[in-house]
Amino acid sequence: MSEAELLRVDHLAISFGALQAVSDLSFSARQGHITSVIGPNGAGKSTLFNLVSGALKPQRGRVSFAGADVTGWPTHRLLEAGLSRSFQITNLFFELSVFENLRLAAQVLEPAGRALLPAARSTVARDRAEELLEDFGLSAKATGLAGHRSHGEQRRLEIAMALACRPKLLLLDEPTQGMSHGDTQDTALMIKGLAGALTILLIEHDIGVVMNLSDHVVVMHQGAKLAEGAPKDVRDNAAVQKAYLGGVH
Amino acid sequence: MAELAVLRTAVEAGERTVIGGQHLLAGSFVALALVFAAIAGATGDTFFFRLATEALIFAGLALSVDLLLGYTGLLSLGQALFFGFGAYVSGLVLKHVAPSFWAAVGITLAATLVVGLVAGIIAIRARGVYFALITFGLAQVAFKVVFNSRGIGGSDGIIGIPQIKVEFGLFAVDAQSPAGFFLVTLAFMMLLYGTCAYLMHTPFGRMLMAIRTNESRVPFLGFSPWRAKLAAFVIAAVVAALSGSLYPMLRGLVSPELLAFQTSGNAVIMVVIGGVGTLVGALYGSVVLTVLKSVIGTFTEHHLIIIGGLFMLSVIFFPKGLAGYARPRLERWLARRTERA
Repeated sequence: MSEAELLRVDHLAISFGALQAVSDLSFSARQGHITSVIGPNGAGKSTLFNLVSGALKPQRGRVSFAGADVTGWPTHRLLEAGLSRSFQITNLFFELSVFENLRLAAQVLEPAGRALLPAARSTVARDRAEELLEDFGLSAKATGLAGHRSHGEQRRLEIAMALACRPKLLLLDEPTQGMSHGDTQDTALMIKGLAGALTILLIEHDIGVVMNLSDHVVVMHQGAKLAEGAPKDVRDNAAVQKAYLGGVH
Repeated sequence: MAELAVLRTAVEAGERTVIGGQHLLAGSFVALALVFAAIAGATGDTFFFRLATEALIFAGLALSVDLLLGYTGLLSLGQALFFGFGAYVSGLVLKHVAPSFWAAVGITLAATLVVGLVAGIIAIRARGVYFALITFGLAQVAFKVVFNSRGIGGSDGIIGIPQIKVEFGLFAVDAQSPAGFFLVTLAFMMLLYGTCAYLMHTPFGRMLMAIRTNESRVPFLGFSPWRAKLAAFVIAAVVAALSGSLYPMLRGLVSPELLAFQTSGNAVIMVVIGGVGTLVGALYGSVVLTVLKSVIGTFTEHHLIIIGGLFMLSVIFFPKGLAGYARPRLERWLARRTERA
């Protein structure tokens, strides 16, 4: 694993019954870069995210993160190590306030001993939550329930929560899903701004966004890697055009 | 930046109002209890003092159910397991080891930490209705074992538990004194309530609420929901057992019925009547149910039919329970008062 690689997956595989959801998949995500995973529905992109983030254990293969073999680590341990993710289907604490959602997500930054002190003493988490509220334009409605916010605001909160723990690697699962055109552009800009300090692994359906944002693109098809390379190379790849872009053009 | 300062003030004020509302309801409970004690003490009553003390003891059991149901989202249908366990351990200690309040409470605490941990590891594996069924099953097994164990009195339970004095260093309270033991129990239960209420306002408590709301998201916050749930389960077991440990001091006996499903079920009813997820509601709910059972029980032996009917009515008209109904109104009043000040 070279120094510039923050995440590396080698020969990763999992099947659900007869369905080979991910098979013999290898790629790496370079430090500070945006690596995108694209592919048609059912290509295994979300399963890949579940494997990398510890929600599923691979049947074969290896996941390395920041120089350590993290295959099969539980999710909470991976998060402590600096690997965070957002969800394709908005996954918040809908019955809690927007502020509380962010404070919970930032709680991991606090020393463990503060878990049994009054919540107001967790000032690191509070400050981080406030910072994110401001960055993501959510301050005005912070005391209201997360479940009462608009879809666009919930999508923003989803990303803010994944960022709250100051991760090294951020897995974004279709961050612009269901967003209006304007919101999609704003979100793309925001993601672009995050890269550099942060390494990003992105699943995205909006090909325009992918081509603009990515440093590296991995194309998945039926659980396996079809191609990878710079956005331009991938776009020009005949196999990719046939399997994926073919329907569009 | 000004916006942030406004936000922080709003968040902090909101939290203060919630805590203020809780304190007000808990303070009213203590005030009402003291008024009752003054009146009952003045009239030289024993029956109602004993009944009220029993209501307080069961309030601790209800509190433990609310800790699991209202904050962690786990419906325990076998919480009487720990209540009865505490009562039996306390009874055995008082009878065979030392007739001391502190020994009984201390040994109950230590023993429940172990039993709660073991039962928790078994029960926490399951979610939703399966958790309810496992807790139900565990309590039924314990009930049958106790019911059939001659060594601890079998179906008769343990009788002849010595009367004790509760030593506080400078003074002692005779557990046989109706007023004295009522006040000791009140202080004890408010201590349990205060500890639980405190914990729910810590990051640990918030994490439990996060689990109740959306458990599958919690690992992605960097915390193991399993560990937090196990901790909540053990704390609830301890609260139930410590409450149970006072029972033999009040009645001088323990019986297998303390572990029976009826006891667990009543605790759930108390929480629902008082208000799920309020903690303080458990205290009110226990008083309401214990008084209703006793009062209606003097008119008819079919009092459960009437209580069942009242329970259904309360679920329909007060779905959030007494405290759940009162609390938002109190909070609004507190917020208005803060604004004016």
